[in-house]
Amino acid sequence: MMAKQNLLPIDEQPERYQTLALVTTVSAAYLPLARYLNWRVTAFVALVLILRFAAVRWPAAAPGRWLLLALTFVGMANCLLANHTLVGKLGGTSLLATMLALKLLELRARRDHRISAIALCFVVVVQFLFDQGTGLTLYFSAIAFMIVALLVDLNGGMGPTPIRRALPVVLRISLQALPLTVVLFALFPRLTSPLWSLGFDHDRATMGMSESMEPGSISELVINGDLAFRARFDQRPPRFDQLYWRGLVLWEVDNRKWSPGRVGQYRPADPVLTQAAERIDYEIVLEPSQQRWMFSLDLPIERPPNTVLSGDFQLLSDRPITTAKRYRLSSALDFRTAVPDEAERRYALRLPDATSERMMTLVKRWQIETDSDWALVQKGLDFFNREEFHYTLLPPKLGANPWDEFLFETRSGFCEHYAGSFAVLMRIAGLPSRVVLGYLGGEPNRIGGYHLIWQSDAHAWVEVMIAGRGWVRVDPTSAIAPSRVDNRGASRLFGTYAPARFHIDSTGALSIAIRQLRLLADSIDAAWQRSVLDYSAAEQTRLLDRLGLGDYGEFALAGIMVTAVTVVMGLILFGLIRQPDAIDPATRCFALLCRRLAAVGLVRHTYEGPLDFAARVAVARPDFAQSVNAIVDLYIRGRYMPNPVAADIQSLSRLVKAFAPTKQR
Amino acid sequence: MTAGRRLHRFRLAAGTDGKHSGVTLSGASLRSALKRMFNGLLRRAPMDKDGVARIAARQIYILPTRIGMLYATTVLVMLMGSLNYQMNAGLLFAFFMASVGLVAMHHCWYNLLGLAISVRSGPAVFDGAAALFEVTLSNERKGSRYDLRVSGGLDASIPVALDAHDQRSIAFAQPTRRRGLLWLTDLEIETRHPMHLFRAWCYAHAQASVLVYPLPAVAAPPPVQDSGNTHRPAARTGEGADDYLGSREYRSGDSVRHLDWKAFARERGLVVKQFGGDDGLEVWVDWAALRTSDPEERIRLLTRQVLDAEAANLRFGMRLPGTEIGLASGANQMQRCLRGLALFDDGQTKPTPH
Repeated sequence: MMAKQNLLPIDEQPERYQTLALVTTVSAAYLPLARYLNWRVTAFVALVLILRFAAVRWPAAAPGRWLLLALTFVGMANCLLANHTLVGKLGGTSLLATMLALKLLELRARRDHRISAIALCFVVVVQFLFDQGTGLTLYFSAIAFMIVALLVDLNGGMGPTPIRRALPVVLRISLQALPLTVVLFALFPRLTSPLWSLGFDHDRATMGMSESMEPGSISELVINGDLAFRARFDQRPPRFDQLYWRGLVLWEVDNRKWSPGRVGQYRPADPVLTQAAERIDYEIVLEPSQQRWMFSLDLPIERPPNTVLSGDFQLLSDRPITTAKRYRLSSALDFRTAVPDEAERRYALRLPDATSERMMTLVKRWQIETDSDWALVQKGLDFFNREEFHYTLLPPKLGANPWDEFLFETRSGFCEHYAGSFAVLMRIAGLPSRVVLGYLGGEPNRIGGYHLIWQSDAHAWVEVMIAGRGWVRVDPTSAIAPSRVDNRGASRLFGTYAPARFHIDSTGALSIAIRQLRLLADSIDAAWQRSVLDYSAAEQTRLLDRLGLGDYGEFALAGIMVTAVTVVMGLILFGLIRQPDAIDPATRCFALLCRRLAAVGLVRHTYEGPLDFAARVAVARPDFAQSVNAIVDLYIRGRYMPNPVAADIQSLSRLVKAFAPTKQR
Repeated sequence: MTAGRRLHRFRLAAGTDGKHSGVTLSGASLRSALKRMFNGLLRRAPMDKDGVARIAARQIYILPTRIGMLYATTVLVMLMGSLNYQMNAGLLFAFFMASVGLVAMHHCWYNLLGLAISVRSGPAVFDGAAALFEVTLSNERKGSRYDLRVSGGLDASIPVALDAHDQRSIAFAQPTRRRGLLWLTDLEIETRHPMHLFRAWCYAHAQASVLVYPLPAVAAPPPVQDSGNTHRPAARTGEGADDYLGSREYRSGDSVRHLDWKAFARERGLVVKQFGGDDGLEVWVDWAALRTSDPEERIRLLTRQVLDAEAANLRFGMRLPGTEIGLASGANQMQRCLRGLALFDDGQTKPTPH
């Protein structure tokens, strides 16, 4: 191998720093990937990279051809073992990462470096399949810059101090590429439907809310720092305690959990609102969840296109939400739903098998003490408020009959415990009830002018059927006395995050500053989402329509794109060429001298060197001889000597300006 | 200009004479005619009256390199993938890389634009040795130029970087294959700056020539001693006497003392110096005195005679059909004679198709 290396032409031999820079860049590009890849693949790639780094320091550590071949097979087997496939999103990415890492082990000529740097582009682009957030995009912008820098530096021919000379070149290229990138991005025609599919979406885990509610399921969400969605209101946003974001409706309860139950409940129906006031228009950008349900402010009165609004006011998308989804809709805060039919009533009264005697007795007592349905509901809420119920995110484990155990023994839990057991109690009392899963509240981002709804805002509440009023929202969690709310668990679990619904506002200057920063970062994130990630064929069509070229479709778009690229490229070229061919100052001074002498009749011939010309001038006009000789002397020094002195140029310029020949009388 | 056109590029001449000598005449001539036609179509930067060629915008050629093709393929694949999966961040990345490629293409072109090139001839060389030209590249603008190479030279070209108003001279070596004038009419300057994705090149018109002396024969018979109109006695004391006459190849039995060790060191083989005659002898290097049928071989022998005569510090003259160089001695005389031999053309020999 060493012999081979020596055979390379000098300008193909890489410098050690170039190898090091390339390997470092590749490692940096791999870092975010570690979150997604199987640990086996990550470990193999890490080992190969460590070997590579060692080989930069000790070239003898580089494996020979046979070892490399063996390593290639091991790497492939490792990928296969980890993912059971070499295609698909994870399988393909693992294989790509392994192969590029192995390619780094045989970096000999600069050509190998160039190929690796270009192949790195793939590693970057596949990671956008996993995450397209601003943070990662910024990170990869740096990697893209490094790729350009590596290619420029590898080309060489920069003379001494190559890095210092390469940097301005790289900056210039990158900055000039930016406007072109924007033009191409905005105008390049998009596909309205994919050309092929490798089933990338199936190997993604579902995120966010799950389909059923059992004690403990929401607590996982509450400690999750992820964003659920953003909402932007057209008008003044509603009060904080009105922000009940409706998601799933759970009808069926058993000894462990609440679940949607009812077959065919997602069947579209036109829910009837007998009365609705305070219409609110807003827009939601929902983070991908891989689920079908969407969220709306309680209660939606209009549905966005490609969605279904079920009879119990659940908003559902046609297909699972795999990319961020933006939709507009309207809700009413004050509403009255229609009275359900008898079947639905009976369905909403079914009880779990293990309804305990204690629960029955409790409800019996309430029924005796009250005369109306609504009073009974109030009685239930009073119970949660009066008794020693605690709100905690770290509730004790519940046994075989969780509803009973929670109500009479542990008495600490959070929304899902309260909502679940309250709905069971209401059903015992003969009031049809159901549980609604969703989010409560949201963090207003005044910089961006929208609300952030976090996974930690997940909430569960109850809807009770009250005669004459339809389904009425009851939130038993809010009945707990604030003194019995224990948020230590929350703050311990997610640091600065706290469930927004309890207004745990830190007042320290630092935490306010951190909060503001976080909101600013999220505004940028939202803008990124709106203007870049959501940009699609629809926006392009809108743009064309605005230009009045809508009828021509993609052809108009392509035409505009080519024109715009040409114009931008022309501007860049113009900027390049416009740089004046700065004549060096000595030449300029000499030219001035020649002009002044020509004005008095002494024209320099083209074949005449400066010294000859000076000699001729000296003969023709002895009175000029002294100054002309001095000027020519300085000119020759400034123009032709290896290291011209600035002082010479200055005195040359002074002399020439002072020299004012007059015509001979 | 017209002279330059008539003397077509030497690389072409070398190609047709050397490599394709086995090809049938008609094929070779057709190919060379096509090449000549193609060469005529190439744009070249003309030389101004100061002998400087400045590269104008439309005299620059540019094509992607292999790495450039790989880069384009990568960008295309990324583009298709991102389009298909509607990954706008990936699309942005692909477009950025595509834009970088486009910008790099223009930078590559711009790196040659306005470059000033001048060429100076080097000293005369013997056939077979490398002829040297001095190529001067100068940057007359404020920005730097990088990775400039003169292609087609014998040695691996070393890239040159030029800062603002900087100039560099590069030794440009060409192989010599025959005696005569080796013309350099076209000079190819190339660059792969900035990212090695594109290669831009241009042809500058040059008018420089290096005189190529004939390759001297290993040994030559002694030249004709001046016996005609001189008043020296023709008495000879026989071989082995003091005065150097010439050299011949070693035959067994020759005295080791007469071996020309210097010639041996120059890898001319074993050569014996022949001595005889008187001090201050005058000799004629004469075309007619040799019997060799091949004119080129005869010229090589004559060249050896000139060199030997000069090495022995003799007064010598040279007679070629149609020319005669009078008796003289010293380096100047040798150069005059060698020049005569290099450019000799009696109609049968073909000295300078360069």
